[in-house]
Amino acid sequence: MLDYFKEYFDFKAFFLTIGLVVVGLVSVYSATYDAGAGSIFERQLMWAGIGFFGMIVAAVLPLKTIQRLSVPAYVVSLAILFAVLVIGKTVSGSKSWLGVGGLGGQPSELAKVATILALAAFLAKTTTMISDPKHLFFAIAIALIPTALVVVQPDIGTSMVFVAMLLPVLYWAGVDNFVLAAILSPVIVAVGALFGTFFFIISVLICAVLLYMSRQNRFIAAMAFAVTLAVGVSVQFVYERMPAYQQKRIMTFLNPEADPLGSGYNVLQAKVAIGSGGLFGKGYLQGTQTQLNFIPEQWTDFIFCVPGEEFGFFGASLVLLLFGALLLHGIKVASVSKNRFAGIAAIGITAVFGTHVLINIGMSMGLMPVVGIPLPFLSYGGSALLMNMVMSGLLMNFWANRKAY
Amino acid sequence: MSSIIHHHDETGTPARQRVLTLIVIGIVGLLFVRLYQLQMLYNIELGKKSTENTLRAIVRDPIRGYIFDRHGALVVDVGPSYSVTVTPAEFDKNSLALLSSLLSLEGRAIEDRIEKGRAYSKFSPTRIKRDIDFTALSALEENLYLLPGVGYQIDSKRYYPTKASATHLLGYCKEITDAQLVKLGDYYKLGDLIGSSGLEASYETMLRGQKGFEFLAVNARGKVIGSFEEGRNDISPKEGFDLILSLDAGLQAFAESLMTNYRGAIVAIDPSNGGILALVSKPDFDPAVFSGVTPPDVWARLNTDTSKPLFNRASMTRYPPGSTYKMVLAAAALEEGIIDENYRFTCHGAYRFGNRTFKDLSVHGSTNVIEAIQRSCNVFFYQLIHKVGLEKWAEYGKRFGFGQTTGVDIGEEIIGLVPNGEYYDRVYGKGRWTQGYLVSLAVGQGELGVSPLQMAVYAAALANGGTLHQPHAVQSIRNKLTNRIDQFQHRARPVGLSVETMALVREGMRRVVSEPRGTGSAARIPDVMVSGKTGTAENPHGDDHAWFVGFAPFEAPTIAVAVMLENAGSGGSRAAPIAGLVMEKYIHGEIKRYKPKPRLPRLVPDSTRVVTQSLQ
Repeated sequence: MLDYFKEYFDFKAFFLTIGLVVVGLVSVYSATYDAGAGSIFERQLMWAGIGFFGMIVAAVLPLKTIQRLSVPAYVVSLAILFAVLVIGKTVSGSKSWLGVGGLGGQPSELAKVATILALAAFLAKTTTMISDPKHLFFAIAIALIPTALVVVQPDIGTSMVFVAMLLPVLYWAGVDNFVLAAILSPVIVAVGALFGTFFFIISVLICAVLLYMSRQNRFIAAMAFAVTLAVGVSVQFVYERMPAYQQKRIMTFLNPEADPLGSGYNVLQAKVAIGSGGLFGKGYLQGTQTQLNFIPEQWTDFIFCVPGEEFGFFGASLVLLLFGALLLHGIKVASVSKNRFAGIAAIGITAVFGTHVLINIGMSMGLMPVVGIPLPFLSYGGSALLMNMVMSGLLMNFWANRKAY
Repeated sequence: MSSIIHHHDETGTPARQRVLTLIVIGIVGLLFVRLYQLQMLYNIELGKKSTENTLRAIVRDPIRGYIFDRHGALVVDVGPSYSVTVTPAEFDKNSLALLSSLLSLEGRAIEDRIEKGRAYSKFSPTRIKRDIDFTALSALEENLYLLPGVGYQIDSKRYYPTKASATHLLGYCKEITDAQLVKLGDYYKLGDLIGSSGLEASYETMLRGQKGFEFLAVNARGKVIGSFEEGRNDISPKEGFDLILSLDAGLQAFAESLMTNYRGAIVAIDPSNGGILALVSKPDFDPAVFSGVTPPDVWARLNTDTSKPLFNRASMTRYPPGSTYKMVLAAAALEEGIIDENYRFTCHGAYRFGNRTFKDLSVHGSTNVIEAIQRSCNVFFYQLIHKVGLEKWAEYGKRFGFGQTTGVDIGEEIIGLVPNGEYYDRVYGKGRWTQGYLVSLAVGQGELGVSPLQMAVYAAALANGGTLHQPHAVQSIRNKLTNRIDQFQHRARPVGLSVETMALVREGMRRVVSEPRGTGSAARIPDVMVSGKTGTAENPHGDDHAWFVGFAPFEAPTIAVAVMLENAGSGGSRAAPIAGLVMEKYIHGEIKRYKPKPRLPRLVPDSTRVVTQSLQ
């Protein structure tokens, strides 16, 4: 029995997930118990219970069933995303909420999992040749269709996660380095162009090196470079012709501290909260920034400030370590999986977690633009918690089935 | 295209695993570095910001120091007064009219105060009106439910429990002006009271104490949610220090009563140390006017009053001292060896210099220096100043403290003027003035200008045998925190006269009051030998100013006094009796002679009474 557990039970994924969920509950309680938002903690606790159930189900379902369900799940989630646009509820300016009876949820959370699985299922098919451009474009389309539906909600943050997840998945599935460089280069240059001429030139140089080093053919490389340059120049061209208020909106998105009373306010207060925590923090429920609600709706996107302020460098480092271990474990699961579907899906899940961690914690510490995406397992949000725990369950499933083809 | 792209559909090569692992380590490492930077390197700076975010300091005013007289009588007391406050963030503009009528304040004035308060903090109560009376307070209380953001707080105000007003000595507090706020900086805030004249001003930093702070926790909307850390960081206000004066409140009140209907000043000094026993300047005003809030019309009236009740005549006037200054010339002549006790000069009732004749009041005949002082013989001194010379005369004036500050601790004084050759050269041009100018100086007339305070210091120096003490009202200061009492360390310097010179001058002064044919017999006191000197200063603009300087008892003086009455006539008949009564009151503690009956002075138009009456 014990040997069976040792062989098939993914202790790491399980306990890292439970650890993060507990830290999340502790943090949500601190952020809400005195903020006139008392029921938030109870709801999060309830969703953690549902999530635990979801995690176990995802872990024990036969791998083949999951693989077979992935395409129908993907189609259903697209249909729901579409339905949300038509009949969805507007929450915080985005149509991303669907209520069914007493329960409501964000379909984009389901779509994330479904897209990963569908992408993995397609790439794992023996008939799929990723080196075939048709197949490559089909794979990209699988990710971009839900991305587009999420963008128009509009939920820019979540759509960025879809794109960010695509690249590691393609990489893992064996896409050539040059193809990845050719996809990445225009994005890098476009962002560089927004930061001004200096950063534009730097980003162009970086992309030139990337394309040159991964090239197979000079002509194709030159063409990719030309496309990259054209994208960069046109971004600058469009930006300079934008009305000033739109330019300002983009600038404060990229550099929120330029607008300390607007979106920069949260970042500033978040930095103050984390920075004032020091080595050991101010003590649980003693963080003045947290307890006095300096950060609006801190329990959602700025939840990292709670361990940062109340438990200090030790507490916040522990959170980082838990995430780091989970991410590395995800890569480990992918590499030991004999099943191509499981391996690619594990990378997709790891990429989603990683993107959320980088953007969310980076944002709380003033490293990243303020993109409204939650911190997995910690931020308040029922459907996100459920789907994150389901993804952990999938990792456990893949671990248990790592030797099956 | 398919020919160009390499075919290797191998999933998850070890190389790619390594790359992804490195990316994960890179991301977590980046976040780690940033976390370290914020929490370990910027911790102090960001911690300060977080404290500022959540803290609001509410000022708690200290109790201003009390002022006692030399016998321990409470002269300046502190009592409660109610101030109406408004918290700008909570105030509803619609209730402005009601508040305005309840406080009888213009709506504009209230709005102005609220705006100024908002600039400091919109969540802290700001004073709108100080010292409202009980009727107004009850009316306000009944209507408070209609006035969001309006409240009241207890402040302190000054009370004056003795009969003495001592206005110009004690001074007063006023609400700080914008100009003072700019100049004095950090400690003061809008609406604070600050000592504005007299001892209240010069001992401001001692009397005011130190403000305390109560720290309140606020949330992101600035709303107070309770005390910060159970008040562990609160700083309680520190009480102001008490002043113990050399003033004798009973003497002060008595001296003030003697000056009713006079314009002028009395300064009485303890000759042994320069301590001020009484300092009267009339007309004056009721200091209670300033204790809470000064109505602008009262302030305007005090300022525009032609009798200048705010003006401290004891230290801020510059009048010629007349014959009271003759001891300076006598001392100069004796000390320089120009004359001695045997020197005599025959007075024929007039003195001719150049083509001008200077008359004396009578024919004094053969006169020595003692008799010249006793009978105030002008001719004797007219001729004497030419023997002494302008520079020597001026030098002895300076030795007695004229033409310079006395260093008095009540803050304001003027130095007056003792003219010398350099002065005349500057004013009239070199060689454009003659020795004739000296004649009037000989009898304390002309450009010579002194204050009653300087005259009292001079009288004290003559009383104590030649020591010039820095006059001071404060004898000691009680530190309320340590209960230590620090004595006022005053300066003193010798005038520099020989015992013989001093004895001759003092004998002259004794005879002025205590011998027949002296000009100051009206200053006599039962059982006590008094000495002094009268002066009648001619005034080109009106009636003469009456002067008297003196001290008593002659053998061991305990009080020196200077009396100056504007436009009151002769010093012997007007100033001497007042000085006598002041000295008698101080020495005997009461007036021993039958009921004091100084000759009734003419009624000087006196707006003081008008002002005080209108306030009552």
